[in-house]
Amino acid sequence: MSATAGRIVVDPVTRIEGHLRIEAEVKDGKIVDAWSAGTMVRGLEIILKGRDPRDAWAFCERVCGVCTTVHALASVRAVEDALGMQIPPAAELIRNIMFCVQNVQDHVIHFYHLHALDWVDVVSALKADPAETARIAQSISRWPKSSPRYFADLQQRLTGFVQSGQLGIFANAYWGHPAFKLPPEVNLIGVAHYLEALEWQKEIVKVHAVFGGKNPHPNYLVGGMPCSLNLEEPNAINAERLALVGRLLKDARDFVEQVYYSDLLAIAPYYLDWAGIGGGLENYLCYGDLPTNGFANLPGYKFKRGAILGRNLAEVLPVDPRDTQAGIEELIDHSWYEYAGGATTGGRHPWQGETNLKYTGPKPPYEHLDVDRKYSWLKTPRWKGHAMEVGPLARMLVGFAGGDTEIKAAVTEALGALKAPPAALYSTLGRTAARGIEARLCAKWGLEFFDALLALVKAGDTRTFTKERWEPSTWPAECRGVGTSEAPRGALAHWIVIKGGKIENYQLVVPSTWNASPRDARGQRSAYEASLIGTPVHDPKQPLEIIRTIHSFDPCLACAVH
Amino acid sequence: MNKSPSPEYQRVYVWEQPVRWFHWINAAAIVVLGVTGWLIAHPPAFLSGEEAAHGYWFGAVRFTHFVTAYVFTANLAFRLYWSVAGNKFANWRNFLPLTSAQFRQVWAVLKVDILQSSNKPVHTLGHNAVAYFTYAGTGVLSLFQIASGFALYAPTSASGFPQLFAWMTPLFGSEQNLRLFHYAVTWAFAIFTVIHVYLVFYHDYVEGHGVLSSMIGGWKFMEKHHAQAEQASGLSTLVTRPPPPPPPAGLAHDPPARR
Amino acid sequence: MTTPTSGTGLVPTIYEQVLSRGVSRRDFLKFCTWMGAYLGLEHGAAAQIQRALESKRRIPVVWLHFQECTCCSESFLRSSHPIVADILLDRVSLDYTETLQAAAGHQAEEILRDTITKHRGEYLMLVEGSVPLAADGCYCVVGGRSALDTVKEVAAGAKAIIAWGNCACSGCVQAANPNPTRATPINAIIKDRPIVNVQGCPPIAEVMAGVLVHLLTFDRLPQLDALGRPKAFYARRVHDTCVRRANYDAGLFVETFDDENARKGYCLYKVGCRGPSTYNSCASMRWNNGTSFPIQSGHPCIGCSEANFWDNGPFYQRLPNFPGFGIESTADRIGLAVGAATVGGALAHAVLTNVRKRGEIGPHPGEDAEKAEAADQGGAS
Ligand code: HEM
Ligand code: HEM
Ligand code: NFV
Ligand code: SF4
Ligand code: SF4
Ligand code: F3S
Ligand SMILES: [Mg+2]
Repeated sequence: MSATAGRIVVDPVTRIEGHLRIEAEVKDGKIVDAWSAGTMVRGLEIILKGRDPRDAWAFCERVCGVCTTVHALASVRAVEDALGMQIPPAAELIRNIMFCVQNVQDHVIHFYHLHALDWVDVVSALKADPAETARIAQSISRWPKSSPRYFADLQQRLTGFVQSGQLGIFANAYWGHPAFKLPPEVNLIGVAHYLEALEWQKEIVKVHAVFGGKNPHPNYLVGGMPCSLNLEEPNAINAERLALVGRLLKDARDFVEQVYYSDLLAIAPYYLDWAGIGGGLENYLCYGDLPTNGFANLPGYKFKRGAILGRNLAEVLPVDPRDTQAGIEELIDHSWYEYAGGATTGGRHPWQGETNLKYTGPKPPYEHLDVDRKYSWLKTPRWKGHAMEVGPLARMLVGFAGGDTEIKAAVTEALGALKAPPAALYSTLGRTAARGIEARLCAKWGLEFFDALLALVKAGDTRTFTKERWEPSTWPAECRGVGTSEAPRGALAHWIVIKGGKIENYQLVVPSTWNASPRDARGQRSAYEASLIGTPVHDPKQPLEIIRTIHSFDPCLACAVH
Repeated sequence: MNKSPSPEYQRVYVWEQPVRWFHWINAAAIVVLGVTGWLIAHPPAFLSGEEAAHGYWFGAVRFTHFVTAYVFTANLAFRLYWSVAGNKFANWRNFLPLTSAQFRQVWAVLKVDILQSSNKPVHTLGHNAVAYFTYAGTGVLSLFQIASGFALYAPTSASGFPQLFAWMTPLFGSEQNLRLFHYAVTWAFAIFTVIHVYLVFYHDYVEGHGVLSSMIGGWKFMEKHHAQAEQASGLSTLVTRPPPPPPPAGLAHDPPARR
Repeated sequence: MTTPTSGTGLVPTIYEQVLSRGVSRRDFLKFCTWMGAYLGLEHGAAAQIQRALESKRRIPVVWLHFQECTCCSESFLRSSHPIVADILLDRVSLDYTETLQAAAGHQAEEILRDTITKHRGEYLMLVEGSVPLAADGCYCVVGGRSALDTVKEVAAGAKAIIAWGNCACSGCVQAANPNPTRATPINAIIKDRPIVNVQGCPPIAEVMAGVLVHLLTFDRLPQLDALGRPKAFYARRVHDTCVRRANYDAGLFVETFDDENARKGYCLYKVGCRGPSTYNSCASMRWNNGTSFPIQSGHPCIGCSEANFWDNGPFYQRLPNFPGFGIESTADRIGLAVGAATVGGALAHAVLTNVRKRGEIGPHPGEDAEKAEAADQGGAS
């Protein structure tokens, strides 16, 4: 393998959730083909069969601890949809608040702890001038901590750390790689906020602890939320609890505005070349979320549902997850599964989906996967036969194209600040920027939902659960439902079939399944694979560029395979 | 049959006082444990809008269950001792299927009492073999309830005795599973009680040997010829008034005396 | 006695590093006391923790991920007591952790190899996730190697192993029936290394931190219960320190979610609470720096720190379904069926008795005589 050509394997891809393997073919310093493989499976769809549908959310929530809650949400919605349950308004608001908190927390963690080290050179920060750092920091944000003293102390701590010779998580990385472009001062800001974000993220999730009892993995409930609202009761959501939530949401908004979003705008200009790399697919899909008038009422959603094909922002196409004829299907052509009759190819709508593990890859330990045949534990989802990208970028584009005023304003503002055209969004950088724009919106909406909750409590409607249809004796003999959501990483849906009070079939099609899946029968690549084509690789031994683009999707492989 | 001469009855002392005491304490304990256990499993919603500080009924129910559990355990332990020290009807050998005679009796009893395909009653002074084995089974269930109950109790108890049973929990995988079995066996006790009480009445009704009152006074009434036949067979010793010479060693139970 | 200087003078001790990070000595001492308290140590132990942290080099740590949801990592990141996050990210040398490390692919694998060879016998191995044993380990492969291979190799040189969460301790959700990948906990694979099972799905952040600090400080395992869980955090049932406990004793129960009783904070026993058979610190330490815990927020405990808790469902029913029977066969259904059959049988039997045993019951020999006597007397009068 020459320095600029050959097969590169990145396994494990780190700073993601789960076990992802990327194989890429490099020619003349650029990637010409790529394969994305999920290498761990647990079989949750198999395990869910035969269980009580009301328990499913807890099983599903354990699909992922990083986007914790989103599977619980999709699951209770699927069951409620199947049983025809309508949750009370307060429960909807509480779910929305938790959704916003999840979105913001997950995006901040992603930006600083999973993605930043692709752009921020920790070692270079040692050379920064603290006074200059403070000046820059103050010029981009009014975050109160940005004093010269603060940065000097931090730098001293960092120096001590590096001199200890025990680099821990920073060891063996790509420091000094020419693809790092930030001046030392901005690197130092990045490192400072890496640590601050770590402190902050554990605060904001306390909102989940208030309503759901803990984070990670807060509790949900089919038919509403398990917490009761009673201002007079110590063991319920009372005035003190609500006040705590209010303060946390305000802090979250400040952090997003003054740290996350400001850093994003400060760092992006150094990497505008990445606004032309990593675009990949031209199709985007979004189920929509944050209902304000019931899950069934699509126009009431804050994130609108829709699909865009060929980057045609003039038209947002309707999406129907119930369409079993010409809608969503999952294929197994390149995935290690088979159907009951022994067929090893083809697709199914999730209500008819099957999960039968059938490994046909090389026996570990192996050097390479057999990428011409089956090579991943992810199935391959398609919408009307198209490969779709899902995620913050898809949400922003669908909102933008659909003329949603809030989303349009937020996107326009960010593009303006970066002096970039809308086309810049179709890229690695665009994906990362869309995530920040969205976190800003969610931080704001979280407060709005909170105010709405207070108003509701004031008006006396404190119901958080409907017991209608709770008892299996009230259920139809057979029914099916679909619960959709917009997880931090994109469009998420759970399909359930209930028969005789038990789960007859349960299928999840997860954001990272859309994005990280292997190609389909026609050779169409999914988002990760497509986005890598054309990516420059400076040194095939140091896959920095590959992980930049892959990280821009915020991979979650436990989610993707489940 | 109608023409048979009016038989002469013999009064036979079967259940010694300790056995009677045991029986009724046992019966009462089972009822109390069953009822309190049921309440623990399905606490009724008869209070609402109350403050916790105003009541302790559920605590009291559990307390009763645990106190009764100790009584139940001690009582059973005593009965185990008495199965060595007591008379032949109380002897442990009766309760275990050790001889072919016992098995023959099982078959005979099934035919006579349960299937009613035979009309030749099985006359025994103690219990018949089926009854004895059933009681042995109940005894095993009692031991299980004791072991599982104390294992469930161990984590909340400061005293040593419950800890002796802590090994039960890992054996059943989890406390939750052990609870399930402890709970399920309660059903077995309920069902036993129904059958047992029914059969006691049945035997009294059909045979007229005074089974019902024997658990109170200790005496049964048996046709003299049956009693004597048994005695003559040498397989059985009847405690009559005045008491006979000491019983020969050997199996306490007798094969059915056939008419 | 407690001079804040390192042994070699070259490599800063944990204490020096803490100071260099702008943490005051007072905060540091407070942290030591706090840790001592949570570990359930007697008073003097705080000084011992302090001495240990002041004089030790950062211990190399590798954190492996297998079949898991990364929630244990996430929980760990939530550790709240100021220095704990620092201690764990910086005071140990977290050399390998796929979730956070900067290096990827070969560079990451190289660090793992380096650590386990250079620090053989010295490093701590932390494991998140279960190991699938079915199908040659193909259900979990990292860097082309099966989880089983890796776990064996890394364990061989580990000073001690911490199994994080229910996945690594008991197999968790992927090991639930029918366990399609034969997900297996670490303690069922590694038998010759000390293992601490830090249970929970996930475990509480401060519990995770506490266990690590214990190992670092005392250089030995904390006291473990029969299931290998540190007693300091898993000795008591959730039920024993539950905020709703007084309602339990008073027999005040929530009947359905958000009913009048739920709004009054009554006990969740009847909606399936597993608190009475779950050993964890949730009720005493609570989650997210003492913010709440499941029961406080209205949801029953599902028993997430117990082995096989997924198969002890359904969750909203107090007792599990009977194993081996169909899913909806609770003990009650079986009991009722058998009970009804018994009563029915007894009734039928009573009828049958009166038919078949007429002869015997009818004019009884004794009664015969009495009747005859009575007849005689009647005749005579
Ligand atoms: C009408 C009332 C009852 C009568 C006449 C009666 C009679 C008897 C007799 C004669 C025995 C044999 C005793 C022995 O061998 O130790 C016996 C055993 C037993 N009875 Fe009852 N019984 C009655 C009610 C009950 C009740 C209500 C229960 C429990 C709820 C009960 C539970 C038992 C048990 C567990 C044994 C076996 C004890 C042993 O093995 O010694 N009985 N009963
Ligand atoms: C005939 C004997 C017994 C019967 C029928 C019986 C029945 C029951 C039942 C139905 C329950 C409720 C189980 C549940 O739903 O969780 C229970 C709970 C319990 N029983 Fe028993 N039991 C018996 C003997 C004992 C004994 C000997 C002990 C020894 C201490 C004991 C200790 C317990 C404990 C600790 C509980 C759990 C109470 C709690 O949840 O706090 N039981 N029993
Ligand atoms: N992909 C994915 Fe998730 C998210 N966001 C879930 O639905 O990360 Ni674990
Ligand atoms: S124990 Fe639970 S929380 Fe931890 S990784 Fe496993 S599933 Fe996730
Ligand atoms: S809510 Fe659960 S843990 Fe708390 S007292 Fe009731 S049963 Fe016990
Ligand atoms: S569900 Fe788990 S988090 Fe605690 S309260 Fe129960 S052990
Ligand atoms: Mg799926």
